[in-house]
Amino acid sequence: MSENRQIFSLQQVVSSIRKTIEERYQSSYWVKAEMHKLNLYPSGHAFPELVQKENDKIVAQINASIWNHNFQRINKQFIEVVKEPLKEGTTLLLNVKVVFHETFGLSLQILDIDPNYALGELQREREETLKKLQAERLINANQLLDFPLLPKRIAIISADTSKGLSDFMKVLNNNPWNYQFFTMLFQAYLQGDVAAPSIIEQLKRIEKVKQHFDVVVIVRGGGGEVGLSCYNNYELCKAIASFSLPVLTGIGHSTNMTVAELVAFRNAITPTELADFLLQTFHDFSVPVNDARKVLCSSSDRILERANQLFSAETKHYKNSATNYLLESKNSLLLTSQQFKNEAKSLLAHNREHLHFAQKECSNYSNRLFKLNRERIAEYVVQLQLKFINRLGKEQQQLSEMENMVRLMDPKNVLKRGYSITTINGQTIQKNNQAEIGDNITTITFDFELTSTLIKKEENGE
Amino acid sequence: MENELNYTAAFEELQQIVRDMEDGEITVDELALKVKRAAELIKICKNKLTSTEEDVNLILKELEG
Repeated sequence: MSENRQIFSLQQVVSSIRKTIEERYQSSYWVKAEMHKLNLYPSGHAFPELVQKENDKIVAQINASIWNHNFQRINKQFIEVVKEPLKEGTTLLLNVKVVFHETFGLSLQILDIDPNYALGELQREREETLKKLQAERLINANQLLDFPLLPKRIAIISADTSKGLSDFMKVLNNNPWNYQFFTMLFQAYLQGDVAAPSIIEQLKRIEKVKQHFDVVVIVRGGGGEVGLSCYNNYELCKAIASFSLPVLTGIGHSTNMTVAELVAFRNAITPTELADFLLQTFHDFSVPVNDARKVLCSSSDRILERANQLFSAETKHYKNSATNYLLESKNSLLLTSQQFKNEAKSLLAHNREHLHFAQKECSNYSNRLFKLNRERIAEYVVQLQLKFINRLGKEQQQLSEMENMVRLMDPKNVLKRGYSITTINGQTIQKNNQAEIGDNITTITFDFELTSTLIKKEENGE
Repeated sequence: MENELNYTAAFEELQQIVRDMEDGEITVDELALKVKRAAELIKICKNKLTSTEEDVNLILKELEG
Protein backbone atom coordinates (compact mmCIF):
# COMPACT_ATOMS: atom_id res chain seq x y z
CA MET A 1 0.00 0.00 0.00
CA SER A 2 1.31 3.35 -0.98
CA GLU A 3 1.67 6.16 1.60
CA ASN A 4 0.73 8.91 -0.81
CA ARG A 5 -2.58 7.38 -1.66
CA GLN A 6 -5.59 9.68 -2.25
CA ILE A 7 -8.59 9.05 -0.09
CA PHE A 8 -12.14 10.08 -1.13
CA SER A 9 -15.16 10.29 0.97
CA LEU A 10 -18.06 8.05 -0.06
CA GLN A 11 -20.05 11.13 -0.90
CA GLN A 12 -17.30 12.35 -3.17
CA VAL A 13 -17.41 9.01 -5.01
CA VAL A 14 -21.14 8.70 -5.41
CA SER A 15 -21.35 12.39 -6.35
CA SER A 16 -18.78 11.77 -9.00
CA ILE A 17 -20.69 8.78 -10.29
CA ARG A 18 -23.87 10.80 -10.34
CA LYS A 19 -22.14 13.63 -12.20
CA THR A 20 -20.69 11.22 -14.74
CA ILE A 21 -23.99 9.53 -15.30
CA GLU A 22 -25.84 12.80 -15.55
CA GLU A 23 -23.39 13.95 -18.16
CA ARG A 24 -23.53 10.69 -20.06
CA TYR A 25 -27.34 10.17 -19.97
CA GLN A 26 -28.73 13.62 -20.42
CA SER A 27 -31.77 12.78 -22.54
CA SER A 28 -34.53 10.26 -21.95
CA TYR A 29 -34.85 6.92 -23.79
CA TRP A 30 -37.62 4.61 -24.85
CA VAL A 31 -37.04 1.20 -23.32
CA LYS A 32 -38.98 -2.01 -23.71
CA ALA A 33 -39.13 -3.93 -20.42
CA GLU A 34 -41.36 -6.11 -18.35
CA MET A 35 -42.67 -4.54 -15.19
CA HIS A 36 -42.01 -7.39 -12.83
CA LYS A 37 -43.24 -5.62 -9.69
CA LEU A 38 -45.05 -2.29 -9.42
CA ASN A 39 -44.32 -1.57 -5.75
CA LEU A 40 -46.81 1.25 -5.35
CA TYR A 41 -46.43 2.99 -2.03
CA PRO A 42 -49.08 4.84 -0.06
CA SER A 43 -47.21 8.03 -0.80
CA GLY A 44 -48.31 7.61 -4.39
CA HIS A 45 -44.81 6.96 -5.61
CA ALA A 46 -44.10 3.64 -7.28
CA PHE A 47 -40.82 1.78 -7.42
CA PRO A 48 -41.22 -0.86 -10.06
CA GLU A 49 -38.76 -3.66 -10.77
CA LEU A 50 -37.99 -3.86 -14.46
CA VAL A 51 -36.64 -7.03 -16.01
CA GLN A 52 -35.88 -8.52 -19.38
CA LYS A 53 -36.37 -12.23 -19.74
CA GLU A 54 -35.09 -14.61 -22.32
CA ASN A 55 -36.49 -18.13 -22.17
CA ASP A 56 -37.90 -17.32 -18.74
CA LYS A 57 -34.47 -16.36 -17.47
CA ILE A 58 -33.85 -12.87 -16.30
CA VAL A 59 -31.05 -11.42 -18.37
CA ALA A 60 -31.32 -7.81 -17.19
CA GLN A 61 -32.84 -6.22 -14.13
CA ILE A 62 -33.03 -2.71 -12.73
CA ASN A 63 -35.12 -0.80 -10.25
CA ALA A 64 -37.22 2.09 -11.42
CA SER A 65 -39.28 4.87 -9.96
CA ILE A 66 -42.43 6.70 -10.90
CA TRP A 67 -43.14 9.79 -8.95
CA ASN A 68 -46.58 10.39 -7.73
CA HIS A 69 -47.61 13.01 -10.29
CA ASN A 70 -46.23 10.92 -13.18
CA PHE A 71 -47.91 7.81 -11.89
CA GLN A 72 -51.30 9.51 -11.68
CA ARG A 73 -51.02 10.82 -15.24
CA ILE A 74 -49.72 7.57 -16.70
CA ASN A 75 -52.31 5.45 -14.94
CA LYS A 76 -55.14 7.72 -16.08
CA GLN A 77 -53.92 7.51 -19.65
CA PHE A 78 -53.69 3.75 -19.39
CA ILE A 79 -57.17 3.36 -18.08
CA GLU A 80 -58.50 5.56 -20.85
CA VAL A 81 -56.73 3.80 -23.65
CA VAL A 82 -56.06 0.26 -22.47
CA LYS A 83 -59.00 -0.04 -20.05
CA GLU A 84 -56.50 -1.45 -17.60
CA PRO A 85 -54.46 0.11 -14.81
CA LEU A 86 -50.76 -0.43 -14.82
CA LYS A 87 -50.19 -3.98 -13.83
CA GLU A 88 -47.38 -6.29 -13.06
CA GLY A 89 -46.12 -8.90 -15.41
CA THR A 90 -46.72 -7.00 -18.61
CA THR A 91 -44.25 -5.78 -21.12
CA LEU A 92 -44.32 -2.03 -21.50
CA LEU A 93 -42.71 0.65 -23.61
CA LEU A 94 -41.26 3.08 -21.11
CA ASN A 95 -39.80 6.52 -21.50
CA VAL A 96 -37.02 6.56 -18.91
CA LYS A 97 -34.19 8.66 -17.68
CA VAL A 98 -31.13 7.10 -16.09
CA VAL A 99 -30.67 8.62 -12.65
CA PHE A 100 -28.29 8.10 -9.89
CA HIS A 101 -29.01 9.15 -6.38
CA GLU A 102 -26.39 9.37 -3.70
CA THR A 103 -28.34 7.26 -1.26
CA PHE A 104 -30.74 5.26 -3.44
CA GLY A 105 -28.25 4.36 -6.15
CA LEU A 106 -28.84 3.73 -9.80
CA SER A 107 -32.35 3.54 -11.14
CA LEU A 108 -34.50 4.36 -14.13
CA GLN A 109 -36.90 7.18 -13.59
CA ILE A 110 -40.07 6.48 -15.58
CA LEU A 111 -41.43 9.60 -17.20
CA ASP A 112 -44.02 8.08 -19.41
CA ILE A 113 -45.42 4.74 -20.59
CA ASP A 114 -46.90 4.27 -24.06
CA PRO A 115 -50.47 3.04 -23.54
CA ASN A 116 -50.84 2.04 -27.19
CA TYR A 117 -47.95 -0.36 -26.92
CA ALA A 118 -49.58 -1.86 -23.84
CA LEU A 119 -52.82 -2.14 -25.73
CA GLY A 120 -51.01 -4.03 -28.46
CA GLU A 121 -49.46 -6.26 -25.85
CA LEU A 122 -52.87 -7.03 -24.39
CA GLN A 123 -54.20 -7.74 -27.84
CA ARG A 124 -51.24 -10.02 -28.35
CA GLU A 125 -51.99 -11.86 -25.10
CA ARG A 126 -55.61 -12.28 -26.21
CA GLU A 127 -54.51 -13.65 -29.58
CA GLU A 128 -52.03 -15.94 -27.92
CA THR A 129 -54.64 -17.32 -25.52
CA LEU A 130 -57.00 -17.94 -28.43
CA LYS A 131 -54.26 -19.60 -30.45
CA LYS A 132 -53.28 -21.88 -27.58
CA LEU A 133 -56.87 -22.90 -26.83
CA GLN A 134 -57.43 -23.52 -30.51
CA ALA A 135 -54.35 -25.75 -30.65
CA GLU A 136 -55.63 -27.66 -27.64
CA ARG A 137 -59.09 -27.92 -29.23
CA LEU A 138 -60.61 -26.30 -26.18
CA ILE A 139 -62.13 -23.24 -27.85
CA ASN A 140 -65.65 -24.64 -28.01
CA ALA A 141 -65.24 -27.51 -25.54
CA ASN A 142 -67.64 -25.92 -23.07
CA GLN A 143 -70.13 -25.02 -25.79
CA LEU A 144 -70.30 -28.68 -26.85
CA LEU A 145 -71.65 -29.74 -23.45
CA ASP A 146 -75.33 -30.63 -23.19
CA PHE A 147 -77.25 -27.79 -21.70
CA PRO A 148 -79.53 -28.96 -18.90
CA LEU A 149 -83.23 -28.83 -19.64
CA LEU A 150 -83.72 -26.77 -16.50
CA PRO A 151 -80.62 -24.89 -15.31
CA LYS A 152 -82.07 -24.44 -11.86
CA ARG A 153 -79.05 -25.10 -9.66
CA ILE A 154 -76.59 -22.31 -10.23
CA ALA A 155 -73.06 -21.91 -8.89
CA ILE A 156 -72.36 -18.20 -9.02
CA ILE A 157 -68.86 -16.86 -9.21
CA SER A 158 -69.06 -13.23 -8.22
CA ALA A 159 -68.48 -10.90 -5.32
CA ASP A 160 -71.23 -10.15 -2.83
CA THR A 161 -70.58 -6.46 -3.27
CA SER A 162 -70.95 -6.62 -7.03
CA LYS A 163 -73.84 -4.70 -8.52
CA GLY A 164 -73.87 -7.29 -11.28
CA LEU A 165 -74.64 -10.00 -8.74
CA SER A 166 -77.51 -8.06 -7.19
CA ASP A 167 -78.95 -7.33 -10.66
CA PHE A 168 -78.69 -10.99 -11.52
CA MET A 169 -80.31 -12.17 -8.29
CA LYS A 170 -83.07 -9.59 -8.54
CA VAL A 171 -84.15 -10.83 -11.95
CA LEU A 172 -83.98 -14.47 -10.88
CA ASN A 173 -85.76 -14.07 -7.56
CA ASN A 174 -88.45 -11.61 -8.62
CA ASN A 175 -89.63 -13.51 -11.64
CA PRO A 176 -93.44 -13.34 -11.81
CA TRP A 177 -93.77 -17.03 -12.78
CA ASN A 178 -92.43 -18.18 -9.41
CA TYR A 179 -89.66 -20.20 -11.00
CA GLN A 180 -87.35 -21.30 -8.21
CA PHE A 181 -83.58 -21.35 -8.57
CA PHE A 182 -81.05 -22.74 -6.21
CA THR A 183 -78.00 -20.46 -6.11
CA MET A 184 -74.77 -20.57 -4.20
CA LEU A 185 -72.18 -17.83 -4.30
CA PHE A 186 -68.50 -18.63 -4.73
CA GLN A 187 -66.71 -15.40 -3.88
CA ALA A 188 -63.97 -14.26 -6.18
CA TYR A 189 -62.15 -11.16 -7.33
CA LEU A 190 -63.64 -10.11 -10.61
CA GLN A 191 -61.08 -7.79 -12.08
CA GLY A 192 -57.40 -7.05 -12.09
CA ASP A 193 -54.49 -9.41 -11.78
CA VAL A 194 -55.94 -11.20 -8.78
CA ALA A 195 -59.14 -12.12 -10.64
CA ALA A 196 -57.83 -14.98 -12.80
CA PRO A 197 -56.31 -17.11 -10.00
CA SER A 198 -59.26 -16.31 -7.75
CA ILE A 199 -61.84 -17.40 -10.31
CA ILE A 200 -59.81 -20.52 -11.20
CA GLU A 201 -59.69 -21.41 -7.52
CA GLN A 202 -63.48 -21.17 -7.23
CA LEU A 203 -63.97 -23.23 -10.39
CA LYS A 204 -61.88 -25.94 -8.73
CA ARG A 205 -64.09 -25.79 -5.63
CA ILE A 206 -67.23 -26.03 -7.74
CA GLU A 207 -65.77 -29.01 -9.57
CA LYS A 208 -65.69 -30.84 -6.22
CA VAL A 209 -69.45 -30.43 -5.72
CA LYS A 210 -70.54 -30.23 -9.32
CA GLN A 211 -73.21 -32.91 -8.87
CA HIS A 212 -75.21 -30.28 -6.99
CA PHE A 213 -75.18 -27.82 -9.87
CA ASP A 214 -76.47 -27.52 -13.39
CA VAL A 215 -74.52 -24.49 -14.54
CA VAL A 216 -71.83 -22.04 -13.43
CA VAL A 217 -72.28 -18.35 -14.00
CA ILE A 218 -69.64 -15.64 -13.73
CA VAL A 219 -71.31 -12.30 -13.15
CA ARG A 220 -69.76 -8.92 -12.71
CA GLY A 221 -70.84 -5.41 -13.31
CA GLY A 222 -70.96 -1.95 -11.95
CA GLY A 223 -67.24 -1.84 -11.32
CA GLY A 224 -66.38 0.13 -14.43
CA GLU A 225 -64.72 -1.30 -17.45
CA VAL A 226 -61.20 -1.36 -16.11
CA GLY A 227 -59.19 -4.44 -15.31
CA LEU A 228 -61.02 -6.87 -17.56
CA SER A 229 -57.99 -8.10 -19.46
CA CYS A 230 -57.78 -10.88 -16.87
CA TYR A 231 -60.61 -12.49 -18.84
CA ASN A 232 -58.10 -13.03 -21.61
CA ASN A 233 -55.81 -14.88 -19.25
CA TYR A 234 -54.88 -18.20 -20.75
CA GLU A 235 -55.15 -20.21 -17.52
CA LEU A 236 -58.57 -18.77 -16.70
CA CYS A 237 -59.91 -19.24 -20.23
CA LYS A 238 -58.63 -22.80 -20.26
CA ALA A 239 -60.30 -23.50 -16.90
CA ILE A 240 -63.61 -22.16 -18.24
CA ALA A 241 -63.41 -23.90 -21.61
CA SER A 242 -62.57 -27.27 -20.12
CA PHE A 243 -65.02 -27.07 -17.21
CA SER A 244 -67.41 -29.99 -17.01
CA LEU A 245 -70.53 -27.87 -16.48
CA PRO A 246 -71.72 -25.16 -18.84
CA VAL A 247 -70.16 -21.84 -17.79
CA LEU A 248 -72.22 -18.74 -18.54
CA THR A 249 -70.73 -15.28 -18.39
CA GLY A 250 -72.33 -11.91 -17.72
CA ILE A 251 -69.38 -9.70 -17.20
CA GLY A 252 -70.96 -6.49 -18.29
CA HIS A 253 -68.81 -4.32 -20.48
CA SER A 254 -68.89 -2.67 -23.85
CA THR A 255 -65.39 -3.32 -25.13
CA ASN A 256 -64.28 -6.22 -27.28
CA MET A 257 -65.44 -9.62 -26.15
CA THR A 258 -62.85 -11.29 -23.97
CA VAL A 259 -61.65 -14.84 -24.61
CA ALA A 260 -63.37 -16.04 -21.43
CA GLU A 261 -66.69 -14.85 -22.82
CA LEU A 262 -65.85 -16.34 -26.18
CA VAL A 263 -65.21 -19.83 -24.83
CA ALA A 264 -68.04 -19.76 -22.28
CA PHE A 265 -71.10 -21.88 -23.08
CA ARG A 266 -73.01 -18.66 -23.45
CA ASN A 267 -72.18 -15.02 -22.97
CA ALA A 268 -74.63 -12.34 -22.01
CA ILE A 269 -73.83 -8.66 -22.27
CA THR A 270 -74.99 -8.03 -18.73
CA PRO A 271 -75.87 -10.08 -15.62
CA THR A 272 -79.50 -9.02 -16.12
CA GLU A 273 -79.51 -10.41 -19.63
CA LEU A 274 -77.95 -13.62 -18.34
CA ALA A 275 -80.70 -13.99 -15.74
CA ASP A 276 -83.28 -13.35 -18.46
CA PHE A 277 -81.69 -16.09 -20.52
CA LEU A 278 -82.04 -18.54 -17.61
CA LEU A 279 -85.67 -17.55 -17.14
CA GLN A 280 -86.18 -18.06 -20.84
CA THR A 281 -84.94 -21.66 -20.56
CA PHE A 282 -87.57 -22.16 -17.86
CA HIS A 283 -90.13 -20.70 -20.23
CA ASP A 284 -88.91 -23.00 -22.96
CA PHE A 285 -89.60 -25.87 -20.61
CA SER A 286 -92.81 -24.49 -19.17
CA VAL A 287 -94.45 -23.47 -22.44
CA PRO A 288 -94.35 -26.95 -24.00
CA VAL A 289 -95.69 -28.32 -20.71
CA ASN A 290 -98.60 -25.88 -20.89
CA ASP A 291 -99.01 -26.61 -24.58
CA ALA A 292 -98.96 -30.30 -23.76
CA ARG A 293 -101.85 -29.74 -21.41
CA LYS A 294 -103.84 -27.96 -24.12
CA VAL A 295 -102.98 -30.59 -26.71
CA LEU A 296 -103.96 -33.30 -24.26
CA CYS A 297 -107.35 -31.71 -23.73
CA SER A 298 -108.08 -31.06 -27.40
CA SER A 299 -106.71 -34.42 -28.50
CA SER A 300 -108.72 -36.22 -25.83
CA ASP A 301 -111.85 -34.43 -27.01
CA ARG A 302 -111.06 -35.28 -30.59
CA ILE A 303 -110.41 -38.95 -29.83
CA LEU A 304 -113.59 -39.21 -27.76
CA GLU A 305 -115.64 -37.41 -30.37
CA ARG A 306 -114.29 -39.66 -33.10
CA ALA A 307 -115.07 -42.72 -31.00
CA ASN A 308 -118.51 -41.33 -30.35
CA GLN A 309 -119.16 -40.73 -34.03
CA LEU A 310 -117.98 -44.20 -34.91
CA PHE A 311 -120.14 -45.64 -32.20
CA SER A 312 -123.30 -43.78 -33.22
CA ALA A 313 -122.68 -44.65 -36.88
CA GLU A 314 -122.22 -48.23 -35.84
CA THR A 315 -125.38 -48.10 -33.71
CA LYS A 316 -127.38 -46.68 -36.61
CA HIS A 317 -125.98 -49.29 -38.92
CA TYR A 318 -126.80 -51.99 -36.41
CA LYS A 319 -130.35 -50.71 -35.98
CA ASN A 320 -130.94 -50.67 -39.72
CA SER A 321 -129.44 -54.09 -40.13
CA ALA A 322 -131.50 -55.47 -37.29
CA THR A 323 -134.73 -53.93 -38.63
CA ASN A 324 -134.03 -55.28 -42.10
CA TYR A 325 -133.19 -58.64 -40.76
CA LEU A 326 -136.36 -58.75 -38.68
CA LEU A 327 -138.47 -57.70 -41.66
CA GLU A 328 -136.84 -60.30 -43.86
CA SER A 329 -137.31 -62.95 -41.22
CA LYS A 330 -140.94 -61.98 -40.78
CA ASN A 331 -141.62 -62.17 -44.50
CA SER A 332 -139.81 -65.41 -44.79
CA LEU A 333 -141.78 -66.79 -41.85
CA LEU A 334 -145.05 -65.62 -43.37
CA LEU A 335 -144.18 -67.25 -46.65
CA THR A 336 -143.17 -70.46 -44.96
CA SER A 337 -146.33 -70.49 -42.88
CA GLN A 338 -148.45 -69.96 -46.00
CA GLN A 339 -146.57 -72.73 -47.76
CA PHE A 340 -147.00 -74.95 -44.75
CA LYS A 341 -150.69 -74.24 -44.61
CA ASN A 342 -151.13 -75.07 -48.29
CA GLU A 343 -149.00 -78.14 -48.02
CA ALA A 344 -150.90 -79.28 -44.96
CA LYS A 345 -154.25 -78.69 -46.66
CA SER A 346 -153.28 -80.64 -49.74
CA LEU A 347 -151.71 -83.38 -47.66
CA LEU A 348 -154.85 -83.57 -45.56
CA ALA A 349 -157.06 -83.76 -48.63
CA HIS A 350 -154.85 -86.42 -50.09
CA ASN A 351 -154.91 -88.40 -46.90
CA ARG A 352 -158.62 -88.06 -46.52
CA GLU A 353 -159.09 -89.41 -50.01
CA HIS A 354 -156.68 -92.19 -49.27
CA LEU A 355 -158.51 -92.99 -46.08
CA HIS A 356 -161.84 -92.95 -47.83
CA PHE A 357 -160.55 -95.33 -50.38
CA ALA A 358 -159.07 -97.55 -47.69
CA GLN A 359 -162.34 -97.49 -45.82
CA LYS A 360 -164.16 -98.54 -48.91
CA GLU A 361 -161.61 -101.24 -49.59
CA CYS A 362 -161.88 -102.40 -46.05
CA SER A 363 -165.65 -102.49 -46.20
CA ASN A 364 -165.67 -104.45 -49.47
CA TYR A 365 -163.11 -106.83 -48.19
CA SER A 366 -164.90 -107.42 -44.93
CA ASN A 367 -168.20 -107.96 -46.74
CA ARG A 368 -166.54 -110.44 -48.96
CA LEU A 369 -164.91 -112.15 -46.05
CA PHE A 370 -168.15 -112.11 -44.15
CA LYS A 371 -170.00 -113.66 -47.01
CA LEU A 372 -167.34 -116.25 -47.49
CA ASN A 373 -167.38 -117.18 -43.86
CA ARG A 374 -171.10 -117.28 -43.72
CA GLU A 375 -171.12 -119.71 -46.60
CA ARG A 376 -168.45 -121.73 -44.96
CA ILE A 377 -170.41 -121.76 -41.68
CA ALA A 378 -173.54 -122.87 -43.47
CA GLU A 379 -171.57 -125.63 -45.03
CA TYR A 380 -170.20 -126.57 -41.60
CA VAL A 381 -173.72 -126.57 -40.18
CA VAL A 382 -174.89 -129.00 -42.80
CA GLN A 383 -171.90 -131.21 -42.24
CA LEU A 384 -172.34 -130.94 -38.49
CA GLN A 385 -175.98 -131.92 -38.72
CA LEU A 386 -175.10 -134.90 -40.82
CA LYS A 387 -172.36 -135.95 -38.47
CA PHE A 388 -174.56 -135.35 -35.49
CA ILE A 389 -177.38 -137.55 -36.79
CA ASN A 390 -174.93 -140.23 -37.66
CA ARG A 391 -173.31 -140.06 -34.30
CA LEU A 392 -176.62 -139.95 -32.49
CA GLY A 393 -177.67 -143.21 -34.07
CA LYS A 394 -174.45 -144.89 -32.98
CA GLU A 395 -174.73 -143.52 -29.49
CA GLN A 396 -178.35 -144.69 -29.17
CA GLN A 397 -177.37 -148.18 -30.13
CA GLN A 398 -174.48 -148.23 -27.67
CA LEU A 399 -176.70 -146.83 -25.00
CA SER A 400 -179.35 -149.49 -25.36
CA GLU A 401 -176.64 -152.17 -25.25
CA MET A 402 -175.31 -150.68 -22.09
CA GLU A 403 -178.82 -150.39 -20.65
CA ASN A 404 -179.20 -154.06 -21.08
CA MET A 405 -175.91 -154.77 -19.44
CA VAL A 406 -176.79 -152.49 -16.55
CA ARG A 407 -180.15 -154.12 -16.15
CA LEU A 408 -178.40 -157.45 -16.03
CA MET A 409 -175.98 -156.22 -13.41
CA ASP A 410 -178.60 -154.64 -11.08
CA PRO A 411 -178.26 -156.23 -7.50
CA LYS A 412 -182.03 -156.65 -7.49
CA ASN A 413 -181.62 -159.23 -10.15
CA VAL A 414 -179.02 -160.96 -7.97
CA LEU A 415 -181.16 -160.50 -4.90
CA LYS A 416 -184.02 -161.98 -6.87
CA ARG A 417 -181.97 -165.00 -7.29
CA GLY A 418 -181.73 -165.29 -3.49
CA TYR A 419 -178.59 -163.44 -2.68
CA SER A 420 -178.38 -160.77 0.06
CA ILE A 421 -176.12 -157.90 0.92
CA THR A 422 -174.97 -157.31 4.48
CA THR A 423 -173.92 -153.79 5.47
CA ILE A 424 -172.84 -151.90 8.47
CA ASN A 425 -173.34 -148.22 8.64
CA GLY A 426 -174.71 -148.29 5.08
CA GLN A 427 -171.61 -149.97 3.59
CA THR A 428 -170.71 -153.54 2.76
CA ILE A 429 -168.67 -155.34 5.30
CA GLN A 430 -165.11 -155.75 4.14
CA LYS A 431 -161.71 -155.69 5.64
CA ASN A 432 -161.72 -151.94 5.91
CA ASN A 433 -165.33 -151.78 7.18
CA GLN A 434 -165.51 -154.50 9.67
CA ALA A 435 -168.35 -155.39 12.07
CA GLU A 436 -167.56 -156.23 15.63
CA ILE A 437 -169.47 -158.59 17.96
CA GLY A 438 -172.54 -156.79 19.29
CA ASP A 439 -172.79 -154.40 16.32
CA ASN A 440 -176.08 -154.01 14.51
CA ILE A 441 -175.78 -155.17 10.92
CA THR A 442 -178.28 -154.78 8.12
CA THR A 443 -179.03 -157.50 5.67
CA ILE A 444 -180.79 -156.54 2.39
CA THR A 445 -182.77 -159.09 0.48
CA PHE A 446 -184.97 -158.70 -2.60
CA ASP A 447 -188.00 -158.25 -0.47
CA PHE A 448 -186.70 -157.22 2.97
CA GLU A 449 -184.31 -155.29 4.93
CA LEU A 450 -183.27 -157.20 8.06
CA THR A 451 -181.45 -155.79 11.09
CA SER A 452 -179.52 -158.23 13.32
CA THR A 453 -176.95 -158.26 16.02
CA LEU A 454 -173.61 -159.97 15.28
CA ILE A 455 -172.93 -162.75 17.61
CA LYS A 456 -170.20 -164.60 15.89
CA LYS A 457 -167.50 -163.68 13.51
CA GLU A 458 -165.19 -165.86 11.59
CA GLU A 459 -162.73 -164.91 9.00
CA ASN A 460 -163.18 -166.55 5.63
CA GLY A 461 -160.42 -168.96 4.98
CA GLU A 462 -159.94 -167.97 1.38
CA MET B 1 -78.15 -35.33 -11.36
CA GLU B 2 -80.87 -37.71 -10.16
CA ASN B 3 -83.41 -34.89 -10.11
CA GLU B 4 -82.45 -33.66 -13.49
CA LEU B 5 -82.82 -37.13 -14.98
CA ASN B 6 -86.26 -37.28 -13.44
CA TYR B 7 -87.54 -34.11 -14.94
CA THR B 8 -85.80 -34.71 -18.24
CA ALA B 9 -87.43 -38.13 -18.30
CA ALA B 10 -90.76 -36.70 -17.21
CA PHE B 11 -90.60 -34.01 -19.87
CA GLU B 12 -89.65 -36.48 -22.60
CA GLU B 13 -92.36 -38.91 -21.58
CA LEU B 14 -94.87 -36.08 -21.62
CA GLN B 15 -93.74 -34.99 -25.10
CA GLN B 16 -94.06 -38.58 -26.29
CA ILE B 17 -97.63 -38.87 -25.01
CA VAL B 18 -98.52 -35.57 -26.68
CA ARG B 19 -96.98 -36.73 -29.96
CA ASP B 20 -98.86 -40.03 -29.76
CA MET B 21 -102.11 -38.21 -29.12
CA GLU B 22 -101.56 -35.80 -31.97
CA ASP B 23 -100.67 -38.65 -34.29
CA GLY B 24 -103.81 -40.49 -33.23
CA GLU B 25 -101.78 -43.37 -31.85
CA ILE B 26 -103.84 -43.58 -28.69
CA THR B 27 -107.01 -45.59 -28.49
CA VAL B 28 -109.99 -44.78 -26.36
CA ASP B 29 -109.05 -47.69 -24.10
CA GLU B 30 -105.67 -46.15 -23.33
CA LEU B 31 -106.91 -42.59 -23.28
CA ALA B 32 -107.90 -42.33 -19.64
CA LEU B 33 -104.66 -43.95 -18.49
CA LYS B 34 -102.53 -41.75 -20.74
CA VAL B 35 -104.28 -38.57 -19.72
CA LYS B 36 -103.86 -39.49 -16.07
CA ARG B 37 -100.17 -40.17 -16.61
CA ALA B 38 -99.76 -36.93 -18.55
CA ALA B 39 -101.40 -35.00 -15.73
CA GLU B 40 -98.92 -36.53 -13.29
CA LEU B 41 -96.03 -35.64 -15.58
CA ILE B 42 -97.27 -32.08 -15.96
CA LYS B 43 -97.46 -31.84 -12.19
CA ILE B 44 -93.92 -33.17 -11.84
CA CYS B 45 -92.65 -30.71 -14.45
CA LYS B 46 -94.48 -27.79 -12.86
CA ASN B 47 -93.09 -28.71 -9.46
CA LYS B 48 -89.62 -28.78 -10.92
CA LEU B 49 -90.05 -25.22 -12.08
CA THR B 50 -91.14 -23.93 -8.71
CA SER B 51 -89.15 -25.90 -6.18
CA THR B 52 -85.52 -26.38 -5.20
CA GLU B 53 -84.09 -29.39 -3.47
CA GLU B 54 -80.43 -28.65 -2.86
CA ASP B 55 -79.05 -28.24 0.62
CA VAL B 56 -76.38 -25.58 1.08
CA ASN B 57 -75.08 -27.15 4.26
CA LEU B 58 -74.54 -30.46 2.52
CA ILE B 59 -72.58 -28.76 -0.28
CA LEU B 60 -70.48 -26.86 2.24
CA LYS B 61 -69.70 -30.09 4.05
CA GLU B 62 -68.62 -31.68 0.81
CA LEU B 63 -66.46 -28.66 -0.01
CA GLU B 64 -64.67 -29.00 3.29
CA GLY B 65 -64.21 -32.70 3.04
